[in-house]
Amino acid sequence: MASSDGGPAMRPEFQRQIPNAAGVLLILFFALFPLVYTGGNYDYVMHVLITAFFYAILSASWSMLAGYAGQFSFGHMAFMAIGAYTAALFGHYFWITGEATGLCREIPFFGNWLVVVNPIGVTSTTLDQDCLRQAMTAWDGSVSVTRMPIWLGIVLGTLMGGLAGFLVGILVLRLRAAYLALFTLGFSEIVKAVISAEIDITRGQAGMELPPLFPDGVTLFGQAFGPTDKIPPYYAMFGLLLLCLAILTWLARSRFGLFVRALREDQDAAAALGVNTTRYKVVVFTITCAMAATAGAVQAHYVQIVTPNMLFLLQMSLVVAMAVIGGIENFVAAALGAIFLQIMLEVLRTSFTIGGVEVDMTTWRLVFFGLLLMVTLRFFRNGLIAPLIDRFRRAGVAAETVEKRTATLTGPGGGPHRADAAEVPE
Amino acid sequence: METPGIFWGVIGWMIAWGIAGSLLLRQRYFARDLDTTNAGFVGAMAGAALGPVALIALWARTPQLTGRIIVGVTLLAVVLIAAAFAFADPQNNCVSNGEFVASQITNGLIIGIIYGFMALGLTLIFSILGVVSFAHGEFYMIGGMLVYYLTAVWLPGLNPLAAVVAACAIAMLIGATFERLMLTPMYHGRVDRPVEYGILATFGLAFTLQYLVQALHGASPVKAQRFIDFPRWEWPAEAAAPLVQTRRGSIEFFDLVTISNPRFVAAVTCILVLLALLFFLHRTWQGRALRAVAQDREAAAIAGIDPDKMNMLAFALGGMIAALAGALLVQAFSWLPQVGAIPAMRSFVIVVLGGLGSLPGAFIGGILVGLVEAAGTGCIPNAQKAASYIPAYGMIVLTLTLLLRPTGLFGRRFAGGAHGQF
Repeated sequence: MASSDGGPAMRPEFQRQIPNAAGVLLILFFALFPLVYTGGNYDYVMHVLITAFFYAILSASWSMLAGYAGQFSFGHMAFMAIGAYTAALFGHYFWITGEATGLCREIPFFGNWLVVVNPIGVTSTTLDQDCLRQAMTAWDGSVSVTRMPIWLGIVLGTLMGGLAGFLVGILVLRLRAAYLALFTLGFSEIVKAVISAEIDITRGQAGMELPPLFPDGVTLFGQAFGPTDKIPPYYAMFGLLLLCLAILTWLARSRFGLFVRALREDQDAAAALGVNTTRYKVVVFTITCAMAATAGAVQAHYVQIVTPNMLFLLQMSLVVAMAVIGGIENFVAAALGAIFLQIMLEVLRTSFTIGGVEVDMTTWRLVFFGLLLMVTLRFFRNGLIAPLIDRFRRAGVAAETVEKRTATLTGPGGGPHRADAAEVPE
Repeated sequence: METPGIFWGVIGWMIAWGIAGSLLLRQRYFARDLDTTNAGFVGAMAGAALGPVALIALWARTPQLTGRIIVGVTLLAVVLIAAAFAFADPQNNCVSNGEFVASQITNGLIIGIIYGFMALGLTLIFSILGVVSFAHGEFYMIGGMLVYYLTAVWLPGLNPLAAVVAACAIAMLIGATFERLMLTPMYHGRVDRPVEYGILATFGLAFTLQYLVQALHGASPVKAQRFIDFPRWEWPAEAAAPLVQTRRGSIEFFDLVTISNPRFVAAVTCILVLLALLFFLHRTWQGRALRAVAQDREAAAIAGIDPDKMNMLAFALGGMIAALAGALLVQAFSWLPQVGAIPAMRSFVIVVLGGLGSLPGAFIGGILVGLVEAAGTGCIPNAQKAASYIPAYGMIVLTLTLLLRPTGLFGRRFAGGAHGQF
């Protein structure tokens, strides 16, 4: 390490601040980037970054669950899908109208009517319009029809994801390691099968369309943005990422983080020392799954469509790989790994030709990705980014510890636990 | 379904008494200081099958829960479900049409044998290494792909048998190499959480293999030629309804059930290899060493077995078994780089159902899953929904097994290997 060999290196206290400074700079960079960047591929770059933030939330919350709490769940995408589908179903089936339709199931709602649309599936043999569309055709625009607020759908999605996480957390209390991985994988497959099979309600593989995140546009910094502009969803997803990271940091630094790590290291020992392992396991499942669900709901509104394909094992492997490559036991590193890898995956998309052989990078990049995952697992057990952070964080710690030790031996007020131990009177 | 009320009423009644039975009986056995391992399971099944009568009897007498009782109540519960279904839907194909039932059962058995064989590889790996290999489906895919490429692209006209053997050898090599390169750190406490490390490492292998094949081959489906043509043959000869009758592409038993050639060949080969495997495990030094390590790692080491070598052997064998299943089925199904996902999921279900680490459990579990799947495809009135829900049945069985009896049907309390724990 540069500081410990006494060269003209920076002072350790200074070095320890480097990760913080880098973090602030990175946040500033991402916050200002959309305002400064003026490339011709602006929308594309924005899209890549929004997706990167989405994966960063998933990967950070998964690393809390797997790296901190040691619960290797392979069903994280299922909770993401639960959030996305809750938002989609809510937006699709609940509407507020000025008058009663007389066709749908409806209840009075503060002077208006809350309408529950009937599910008609993808191709109904008898109906080509659901009851609300029929009523709207009859009204011909004379009655106001408003959709539910987008944020309410997202909140509901978060709650449903948290609830599902809570229930799964209770169910897996007794399961560890391989059994937990299989159970969560099974859960994920069941969710996928239900979504694919209940075509009447979820429209199956056809997917459900959602309104954009800001359907009526939004005004930021005195500038109006339309529903398809990239800047509002960019800041929404970025803000969500920062919020999630803040919550995770707060959790990790509190007693909760300590107990959860104790759970990981030795569940029985933690329980014997009075940690309520049941409660912490369930709580960590609930929180991380709610985060995944929020990310899913926001992303669903951003891309405006949800399909059961988001539950493919590939998606889960991407999140796992990102967290592992970033550093599974450090959620900030996991989030950075996700952003970095998502950008790399997009950059590596361009195919090239070596000696007349065209290399189709759209698949080869994933091969390299897999190899990188294995190499990281084998040789860099803490990931590639986490050790970098630790290197600065722990600068000079070794020297300090040695100093403190020697001080307790020789200095004034030396503790009785060291050399004096021999002089303790009987 | 004609009267769904009857069916769902019976199911609801069974679920209610099943839950009550599992909770009550476990408590009763616990209070009486008896073995509670099977109490919850038997309670659930007895409650489901016979309702309060059985529960009161078990509650009063608290007999020792032997295998006979377990199997008996489970069979009763299954029969009850089948009876309720038959009453509720008498017009259904699988109630009224005997020929259809016979062919469904045969199909279920055939596919179950192949599933069970594949799960055997997974359980072998688990019993020695304590790791669930997430790359099992990819070995299956590689096996099939290799056979296709060997017989159709690289060496046209190659004997299929040679191609199958070569595919197995290559899969074994991949398995052994991967184990040496990636899994060795987990044996001697060099990683903090070995089981999770193993899961992630095999996950990485699966990812890499799948995309490597996709990059090399592309995403177009392929299918290998039929390995052998059956000769035309009847037994007894010249009978009006021969007991066994073969055509080039199929075999027919009792003039009733027809099995297509590739499936029949695959199932028979699986059984033969299974017998060879049993011979290997029980009669040769290496095989005995493998089983010894599965039972007790330290004791095996004291007896002069190198457990690390056995790890390599187990992983290579497990990969080879999956590859062999794939190599045999590539003549029956069209093959894609993603084809491994479904059999891998089935194998997970089967090994958990049979008990992780139990070899007979894997095979019997495979046949059970094959039969359940056949029943599910054949009997559910809404065919489209049935097709979508088929992956879910297995997973529901898996989650229920994990909740009710994590050791599975034949599992030991603590699964073998150095790292096996719940």
